[in-house]
Amino acid sequence: MDAGTTRFAAAGARPLPARLAWQARIFGAYFVQFLKMRLAYRMDFLVDTLAVGFSLLIQLAVLGVLFGKVSALDGWNFPQVLFIYGFSLVPLGLFNLVSVNLYGFADEYLIGGRFDRVLLRPVGSLAQVIFESFNVSGLNEILLGLAVMVHAGRELGWKLGAGFGVQDLMVLAVLAPGAALVYLGVFLALTTVSFWFEDKMGLAPPVYNLIRFSRYPITIYSLPVRVFLTFVLPFAWVAFYPAAWFVGGPHLAKVALLTPLVGAVVFGGAVLLWRRGVRNYVSTGS
Amino acid sequence: MSAGTIGPGALLAPWRRTPLATLGLYGHFVRLAFLKFLAYRLRYYTGVVSYTVFVAGHYYLYLALYAGRAAEGLPAQIGGLTVREMVTYVAVSWIGRSLYFNNISRDLARMVTEGEIAMHLIKPFHLQSVMMAEAVGEAGFRLLMFTLPIMVVVAPLFGVGAPVDAAALGWTLVSFTLSLVIYSQLGFLVGCLAFVMKNIQGVLRAQMVGMDFLTGVIVPFTFFPGWFQSVVAWLPFQCIGYVPVMIYLGKRQGADLAQGLLLQVGWALVLGVAARLVWRRATRRLTVQGG
Repeated sequence: MDAGTTRFAAAGARPLPARLAWQARIFGAYFVQFLKMRLAYRMDFLVDTLAVGFSLLIQLAVLGVLFGKVSALDGWNFPQVLFIYGFSLVPLGLFNLVSVNLYGFADEYLIGGRFDRVLLRPVGSLAQVIFESFNVSGLNEILLGLAVMVHAGRELGWKLGAGFGVQDLMVLAVLAPGAALVYLGVFLALTTVSFWFEDKMGLAPPVYNLIRFSRYPITIYSLPVRVFLTFVLPFAWVAFYPAAWFVGGPHLAKVALLTPLVGAVVFGGAVLLWRRGVRNYVSTGS
Repeated sequence: MSAGTIGPGALLAPWRRTPLATLGLYGHFVRLAFLKFLAYRLRYYTGVVSYTVFVAGHYYLYLALYAGRAAEGLPAQIGGLTVREMVTYVAVSWIGRSLYFNNISRDLARMVTEGEIAMHLIKPFHLQSVMMAEAVGEAGFRLLMFTLPIMVVVAPLFGVGAPVDAAALGWTLVSFTLSLVIYSQLGFLVGCLAFVMKNIQGVLRAQMVGMDFLTGVIVPFTFFPGWFQSVVAWLPFQCIGYVPVMIYLGKRQGADLAQGLLLQVGWALVLGVAARLVWRRATRRLTVQGG
């Protein structure tokens, strides 16, 4: 392992781009390793696909029934709301792909002692925790979300080049990961709380439950709720604002472009919290 | 246990227990479950927030729906419900859910997949009855520490309508108690699937997602097309959420009320017996590897 040790030692001294490429290679290897492990349980993935599909079907049925009663909800018609819903699944899928370890972080890493091992390695602790396990079912959500968006786009009379250009595709490719960063930032911040005190109350579930209401046009909510979802717990940025680039009219379309910025701020803040937490960390010794 | 049952082998034979002793045994499980959940009561404070969020989300959604109807000049009632009744429907649905909800399917599935089930099979009780008793204990805890706080928060916040009369409130409580039995037996049946399926996680997830929809918590059945309503009428799910809420709203009175409650009793019996039969078959061919 002599060659390996020198490689690790040298890594710290390399320029940033080389270091990032090196980290990307490592986490690519993590992912491949994880996939190999998962391939032993192919049925799991199939069952999971069915579960995600079933859940999607129900959500669509609910929307369908509601729009059977009225042609517009606060001025938003069925295809528009459908598009927002489809969009919401893409960042959610991206987030679900990497967020599994956040939920069990306090139990498995802090109390179970796995975090000591993480800190001994010469790679960022946060990246290790996030990439040590993946939830492949996130891919299902991304694919189904894209399918719903395509369908909603057709209903809105869009065609590639007419109503929906290459520019829109590029915007989608930037806004969806930006929105995923909002999710990641919020739940990471909740996770870091466990560095300081044991979370006996379970702060994440109520926050997670709020997600399903971020899929509707937030204009249906009262002003305090809208302010709360925009500035305090910024879930308006995981679906409604970014999707507004496509369905929200000229004014909201400009707001939509702020999504990556919001994502960066929320995630950046959470990373700072994480760093403070790591500095505060004392091993349980187990 | 009474003195008469003492003797070699007798303690392992549950059928030699007097009915009173059996009642006492399961009564213990009710009490223990209540105390167990009391120890975790902190988790339910955030649960109150969760349920308030659920009600709030649907509250705004339905307000927008009814406002949209008014703007389009359509009748103010949807599926026989006015906007006030709809708000009450949403709130009472979630308040009821906070009472009857439990994780029997998940717990049973875990016992089976981890082999812990073997330890329960050698004990002189019936696991189905134990889990039902524990569900009752849990519901007792929920009623005091969860459902009541949710009511106190939700009712004034969203202007939830009062019950039509005292009797309706009483029958609603009876009805939600029956919901608890139906929900628990259904959960036990779903959990039994772990005996035959290697991976039950997907089923459990589908159950989580499907239940609120099929019980009518999210959308009342009267909003749906006729064919869907007639399908639902033949399923047990409506007896969990929809029936008690309709009783609360005074939409089921007289013979209709009796019919609703009888339907619930019927489903509770059918599912209970079905669960016992499935259990008997499943435990006969069970293989536990180590555990």
